[in-house]
Amino acid sequence: MKMTFSRISLILFILFLTSCATQMDQKVLIEDSQLDSFNLDISNFINNQQKLKSEVLKINAKSPSIQRILNNSDEFWLKGNLKKTNSELERALRLSKSESAVYLRLSHLRLEQGLFIESKSFSSRGLMNNKASSWEFFLLKIYQKLE
Amino acid sequence: MKIKKISLIILSGVFLSGTVIFIAYLALLSEKVEEKLEGVLWTVPAKVYSRPLELAEGFKVNLNYIKKELDLLSYQERKRPSSPGEYYLTKKELDIYLRGYEKQKPGLFRITLDNGEIKSVKRSDGILLDLISIEPLSIGGIFPSHMQDRILLNWSQVPEELIQVLVLVEDRKFFDHSGISIRSIFRALLKNTLSFSKQEGGSTITQQLAKSLFFSPEKTYSRKLKEAFASLLIETNYSKEEILLAYINDVFISQSGKRAIHGFELGAQHFYGTSLDNLELEQMALLVGMLKGPSRYNPRRNPERAKERRDLILGVLKENSLINKEEFINLSSKPLKVIKPSFRSQSKHPAFSDLVTIDLRRNFKDKDLRTKGLRVYTNMDPVFQLTLEESIKKTKRNLIEKYGSRLEGVQMAAIVIDSLTGEIKASVGSSNPREFGFNRVLNASRPVGSLIKPWIYLTALGSYKDFNLMTSLNDDLLKVNLSNGDVWEPNNFDKKFHGEVRLHRALWQSYNIATARLGISLGHEKVQSTLDSLKVEKKLKGYPSEFIGSFELTPYQVIQAYQPIASKGFYSSLRAVREVTGPSKEFSLTFPYSIEQVLRPEPLHLLRFALMKTFENGTARGYSKDRLKSWSVGGKTGTSDDQRDSWFVGYAGDHLALVWVGFDDNRKTPLTGRSGALQVWKNFMEELNPSSTSTLIPERITYEWVDRFDGKLSGRKCKNSEAIPFIRGTEPKDTPTIRKGCRTKYDIFSKENINFFMQAVNL
Repeated sequence: MKMTFSRISLILFILFLTSCATQMDQKVLIEDSQLDSFNLDISNFINNQQKLKSEVLKINAKSPSIQRILNNSDEFWLKGNLKKTNSELERALRLSKSESAVYLRLSHLRLEQGLFIESKSFSSRGLMNNKASSWEFFLLKIYQKLE
Repeated sequence: MKIKKISLIILSGVFLSGTVIFIAYLALLSEKVEEKLEGVLWTVPAKVYSRPLELAEGFKVNLNYIKKELDLLSYQERKRPSSPGEYYLTKKELDIYLRGYEKQKPGLFRITLDNGEIKSVKRSDGILLDLISIEPLSIGGIFPSHMQDRILLNWSQVPEELIQVLVLVEDRKFFDHSGISIRSIFRALLKNTLSFSKQEGGSTITQQLAKSLFFSPEKTYSRKLKEAFASLLIETNYSKEEILLAYINDVFISQSGKRAIHGFELGAQHFYGTSLDNLELEQMALLVGMLKGPSRYNPRRNPERAKERRDLILGVLKENSLINKEEFINLSSKPLKVIKPSFRSQSKHPAFSDLVTIDLRRNFKDKDLRTKGLRVYTNMDPVFQLTLEESIKKTKRNLIEKYGSRLEGVQMAAIVIDSLTGEIKASVGSSNPREFGFNRVLNASRPVGSLIKPWIYLTALGSYKDFNLMTSLNDDLLKVNLSNGDVWEPNNFDKKFHGEVRLHRALWQSYNIATARLGISLGHEKVQSTLDSLKVEKKLKGYPSEFIGSFELTPYQVIQAYQPIASKGFYSSLRAVREVTGPSKEFSLTFPYSIEQVLRPEPLHLLRFALMKTFENGTARGYSKDRLKSWSVGGKTGTSDDQRDSWFVGYAGDHLALVWVGFDDNRKTPLTGRSGALQVWKNFMEELNPSSTSTLIPERITYEWVDRFDGKLSGRKCKNSEAIPFIRGTEPKDTPTIRKGCRTKYDIFSKENINFFMQAVNL
């Protein structure tokens, strides 16, 4: 009886480990597939501005109050109201001049408006931001290369 | 028989022509009525507002600043704010009952503070918010010649309570009669006959509306007859709601200077600083009560009489069961709480208004500005404006005290902008800031003195292979032969020669001879090219004296040319107006922020280092290192020939401010840039104590310890050493043997080294 109990325990333990391993495998597999489809090649963004925009819109502000304003501006942007998008971004900029999320959006907005010099200038100003993450820097630098 | 026939014909003719004339008159009257009721006759002047103040979680606030803002908006300090327009501020909390405006709902909010930083923003029910917006200050308007002002409402915006109170007090049978009340007319006739006067009107709301069709106050029976006809026409063609709405928009509420306040919405804003739909019942009661005698019951001029009248109206409401006894006692015990008038028919800030007008005239016709009900939201920061005005007045007082009659009649001009966005925050065009007339910010074209020097040094530093901050310049006697045969010989302010001086020192010590020599060696063309990048429209004429400041610009042009320097290289044109909206929500014209990088970051970093030195050791010295670091400061004094103009331009925090002091008739002053204009700047910045946004230093900048005399490498512990930024590759390479002992390995360029310098200077 004792033997049976310890055997069952062992089998259960092995099953538990196997299931954990399977789950970990699955997790790794999902991440791998995401990474596979994610290409850091800069040309990928230069040639596909829609993709660039979707990446830019994923950048959140560090301050919650600025993020709230960005939520408004993103909403206007998705509805195609560029004027209100711009007003909200300027509102955010008045509150804080050190949010990369704001400079990135302004750079892309100006790009959509066909104002290339301004788009580049906003990204240059964003690149001066000492609180920007490396990913934000990467995205900001793309606007320096767009014509 | 024949005579009878002729008489009949004549009578018929008279009758017929009378009928034709009467019908024509009715047609004309009908047209007038239609115009009035359709709103054609209503002119709605443009209203001008300051920027709204936003309080957001995570941001620093200056308690003094908030207090000043709330005071300007006529908020009352009260321990437990319970109605719109009240607040209570401590170091830890701000409880504020917002009046609300189109972008912010009214209500009670609590802002928690910690060391001047906003930690949380909560609604009264405890719900966390991220930010709130305090309504903008109304700062002026653009009026038609008759000075009538109003804000139009549509029916859905009129509060039900107002309709009830208005009808009850002014015309109880309004919804039943057909424009005129025969009973009231007979009662008035009887009263007037008995008293031999024409005091009693007996007007219905419709008649009162009809009365305003005729712009004259005469009280004659023929005029009454005209009004009666007009009333009948109004009632025939319009519904009761349309008539009441027209009355609510049109009725005269009060006179404010030359400006006539019409309509309940403007009345609410004029006396309570908020919209009609935010008013409490007792406040509406006062506005309705005032209709009987707008001047007699004006709550600002006759508060006791106004309160009596308000309470009388509240009594009528109680008698008619619109409120119960307890409500009556509660409402009639409330104070009037009208705000101080912030709006003027003529702006309180004429120099700022001029800037607004320039922006507006580019986009709107004058007639539309005066009649179409536009709302102009400006960038003016009312606290900055007030502080700048106070700084001007204080400095003028101090200077006259110090220099006496020599400064009698001295004039000043100043302008403050947001360095990055170019938004104009404040502007003063005279040493008497509220004075109308010559606006020196826009129109006083004066020699800029040493304010031209940074543009020359920036030109030099752009040629980085030839110039760096340690380049040696010659400040000995200079003689230049001019084309007309004259010899030009510039002099330093201290009348001394300084021999060989380092470039950065020549700038922050403002040496004229070294600068003139530098300008001549660069040439007018190169300096002009820098001015072109800074978008200065005026061109240099080619005189060598221009290099030490005979070049003339207005304060507005100078601050625009310094804006890219203050913003670390990004040009943005100056703007006083942020947005203009129309009466319909669809219309909105924005003045978007546009930037263009016009300066290379590396030479600019070097220039900003020298401009910071102006504060550390130069002509604007006198501040602690901590203060300089927290402000991230830089600036330049300017004094023109014979001290006729005293200038200072400087950035601190995210703001750039420029000040000019001098005489309109170009007389000599006893002032330098330091003793005159800088004092206004100091008074202003010290009051506001702005915080700055730090940025990365350009990648190609390195710092080195160098000897201040020979410019060669040195060490932190070596005598006479100073840390100087260089564009990488242009730094000195040799360490003299004498300093090899005190220059350690830690003094050699490294990331840590750079961080050390950046912490020290915050450029």
